[in-house]
This record gives sequence, C-alpha cells and structure tokens, in this order.
Amino acid sequence: MENIQKKLREEAGRLLEEKKVDVIVGYEAGTLPATATPCFITLPEEAQKLVWNSFCTQNLAKFVHDMISQHRNAQKRVKPEDRKKKVVGVVARGCTSRSIVLCLQERQYNRDEVVILGVPCTGYVERKKLSAALGGEEVLEAIVAGDSITVKTPAGEKKLALKDALADCCLTCRFNNPVISDVMLGENAAPMDADREYEEVTAFENLPIEERWAYFEKEMAKCIRCYACRQACPSCYCAICFMDQSQPQWVGIGEDATDTQVFQLMRLYHMVGRCVDCGSCVSVCPMGVDLRKFLKKLDKDGLEMFNNRVGASMEDVPPLSAYSENDKDDFIFNP
Amino acid sequence: MSGQEAKENWEPKIVAIVCNWCTYAGADLAGISRIQYPPNVRIIRVPCTGRINPFYVVKALQEGADGVLVSGCHPGECHYLSGNLSARRKFATLKRFLSYIGLEGDRTIFTWVSASEGERFAKVIKGVTERVTALGPANKLVKKL
Ligand code: SF4
Ligand code: SF4
Ligand code: FES
Repeated sequence: MENIQKKLREEAGRLLEEKKVDVIVGYEAGTLPATATPCFITLPEEAQKLVWNSFCTQNLAKFVHDMISQHRNAQKRVKPEDRKKKVVGVVARGCTSRSIVLCLQERQYNRDEVVILGVPCTGYVERKKLSAALGGEEVLEAIVAGDSITVKTPAGEKKLALKDALADCCLTCRFNNPVISDVMLGENAAPMDADREYEEVTAFENLPIEERWAYFEKEMAKCIRCYACRQACPSCYCAICFMDQSQPQWVGIGEDATDTQVFQLMRLYHMVGRCVDCGSCVSVCPMGVDLRKFLKKLDKDGLEMFNNRVGASMEDVPPLSAYSENDKDDFIFNP
Repeated sequence: MSGQEAKENWEPKIVAIVCNWCTYAGADLAGISRIQYPPNVRIIRVPCTGRINPFYVVKALQEGADGVLVSGCHPGECHYLSGNLSARRKFATLKRFLSYIGLEGDRTIFTWVSASEGERFAKVIKGVTERVTALGPANKLVKKL
C-alpha cells in the first residue's frame, strides 16, 4: 500500500503539473487517528497530502458528480465561446469506479471530464465495527499489517483479525479492483469472498413475513433523518430530492414513524440497479441503521431479474432505464 | 359503532391506478355493459402506466389504502408503445422489495386490462377485493391521522 500511495502522489502531481486535470479528489489523513478524509487538491505540491490506506472510506464518485454538475451550472452564465471544461481526477477503488460507470451510463458527465486513478482495494476499516470490536474504547493509533490490525487504546494494545473490522460490503465484494481506469496504480488486489455476497439476504428472505416487517420497523425507528446517507451516496444526485420537495410534499417532515419508513423505503428503492454496495451510507449513518440488508436485496433482484451488476461494464444499461418484451410477467395478476 | 362492530363491517379501500387508454376504457365498458363488481375501488386515471411513479403506490398505502391495484394496457398495446414495458420492470422490483421488507404480496397487485375487456376488469376488481378482504385492514406503513 505504501508503494501505491507513493505512485499515487507522483501520478497526481504529474497530472496537475501537466494540467491534465483541474482538481484531484482523493483522501488525506483525517484529524482523528486511524481515519482518512476526502480532500481536493489543485496544486502539484499538494499531492504529497494524498494517502491510500485501509481507512479511506467514502466513495469519491459523489464529489466528481458534485463538482462537474456545479461547474456546468456555473458555466451557463458564461458566453458559449468562453465556456471551459473542468476535468476532475479521482482516486477510485472498485466501487468508486462502478459509481463513475453508472454516472456515465446515466449521462451525468462525459468520459473526458474525469480522469480515473485506479487503486486496488483490500477493503476498508469500518469505524463503527472497529469501535464495537474494541468495546467502544478510543482508538489512539491503528496499524494494519497483513490480515490483522493492531490498535492502541488508552487501556493498552489490542490485536484484532482484520476481517472483524472491515466493512461488511468489503468482505464479500466482487469488484475490489477498478472496472475502468486511466492509470492503474499497483497490481490488482486478491479477490474477496464474493461467493457469499447474498448469504445475508437469502437468510432474511427466508424469515417469516412478520419477522421481516418487525426488523424493518425496528431499524427504521433508529433513523433520525439526518439524510447523511443520501448526502454520501454517489447515486443520490437529483438536483431536488423527493425528500426536499414541498409541492407535492411526498413525505411528512414530522416525527411520524411511517414518514421515516416511507422515506427509507423510497430512498432504498431508488437504488434498484444503482447501488454499488460501497457502504458509504452505512459508514456515515450516526445511528447504525442496517441499510445494507435492504440495499443488497435490490442488488440481488437486479441480478436475478435483469442479469445486471451495477456499473460493472460500460456496455450495460441500468435495468430500469431499459425494458425487454420478454421480461418476466409472473407477478401479473390474472383472475 | 363499537370496535367489534367496526371490524365486522369493515370494507377494504382499494386504490386502482389505471391508464387512460386501456384499463380506464375497460372500466367504462364494464359500466356500460352493466357488469357488477365490488364498489371498493377508487379509480385514479393516469395517461399511461409508465407515468406512475412507484411512489404513488407506497404513498397510497401510507395514506390508508388497504390495497393498491395498478393496471394498464397489455404489453405491446401501450398507447405510447413502451410505457407499460418500462413500468413492468419498476413494478416487478417494487413488488419484490415490498414483500422483502414484510408487506403482504396481495396488498399491491399489478395487471393488464384492455379497452375491450370489461368482463376482465370486473373479474380483476372482484379478485383483488377478495384477496385484500382476506388480508384484513392494512396495518403496516399506515399513517395514523
Ligand atoms: S444516515 Fe442513518 S440516521 Fe441519517 S437519515 Fe440515513 S439512515 Fe437515517
Ligand atoms: S446506497 Fe449506500 S451502498 Fe449503495 S451506492 Fe449509495 S452510498 Fe453506496
Ligand atoms: S397507455 Fe396504457 S399502459 Fe401505456
């Protein structure tokens, strides 16, 4: 990883130097120990800030979309002949690259507006999981080596198996290496345990219906509707989210439990054929809502019904943007 | 009315979101032909099933519908050619997802009824009403007003 980070800094510096990109979005060390945070660099010398390690969490495709769409909007006020293109460089692991593919498929920006710095990924440490594994103790320092993580806490040093701290989505990730990139930094990483990706969903499907509802109700009751999940999600890019609309007001803004359920239900459902299982929403949720249990189901349905794996290839079309005359009709009521 | 009585006299409220060109005309035909069907449906007419935001279905359930029926032209017969084909994908995934989170499958029903199928329209309404009646009043996702 050290090596990849070194190459990343070189490559980022070069791209900025040669003015191939206007800005690079990557990760820098966070303010707390064992964290990394998104950063935006525009000067070649700033490239030394960039890091690539097991604490890089957020899906950066979110910022690519934000920056390009904001820039394009701003350009509307400029005379057509003076308009400039903005090129964004982005540090992209597997899921980030899939989000970019999805944005390209959905015609959100053009391929030449983004330069993808592909990085192989071995999974990221999920803060809430790490904290739970440590019994809530404060993290003073953490070092990942091989498949274990050594954490210094006020009470002393603890060594954990890395898989107990990695995000759930990483453990069974099928695309930990970028699906597209302009520059690939380092060798592809070893595959994760992708064969078990739907185990949790299948187990949930087999529960009795009342238990499923009780679980949904319980999880959604935790949600405080801070909308951090939406803000973090690279696929949630609508200019005006249905949650913020007032005419019509789709969802009440009070404390009613069903309003929260409906909000969640619709945000989740918007992810059919669009969720790349990056876990960004899960990692930002302050209440620990089990969003992945539901998101992964949509992924499974997309695969079963439309043979689609979100953002896996530029040739695909998102399943709800297409149709086929031969789509299954088995859910149609025939009295 | 006591609670017990209210329960016994309970009649399901069903929202039917139907497309203008086929199912709505089919309902018209059922009416003109004086075919009897249960009066439990409230019909909402939309231009095409492709125009139905899946949110309409969820919203109807939240606002207290015991069942939601969506019906449009048969595949291949949509007035706008492919509206119902796009809609089919949305509804197939929506129905699966709703049942995954624990909503009974029969609360949301999707079908096709053409303009010449007055008979079928009546049958659909009868079938849907029976199924929803069997489930009883909706109690999940329903906003208490
Ligand atoms: S981040 Fe968590 S608490 Fe906030 S709105 Fe999303 S699910 Fe709810
Ligand atoms: S819904 Fe969550 S896991 Fe899926 S793409 Fe959005 S942030 Fe990533
Ligand atoms: S017009 Fe009837 S479904 Fe499109």
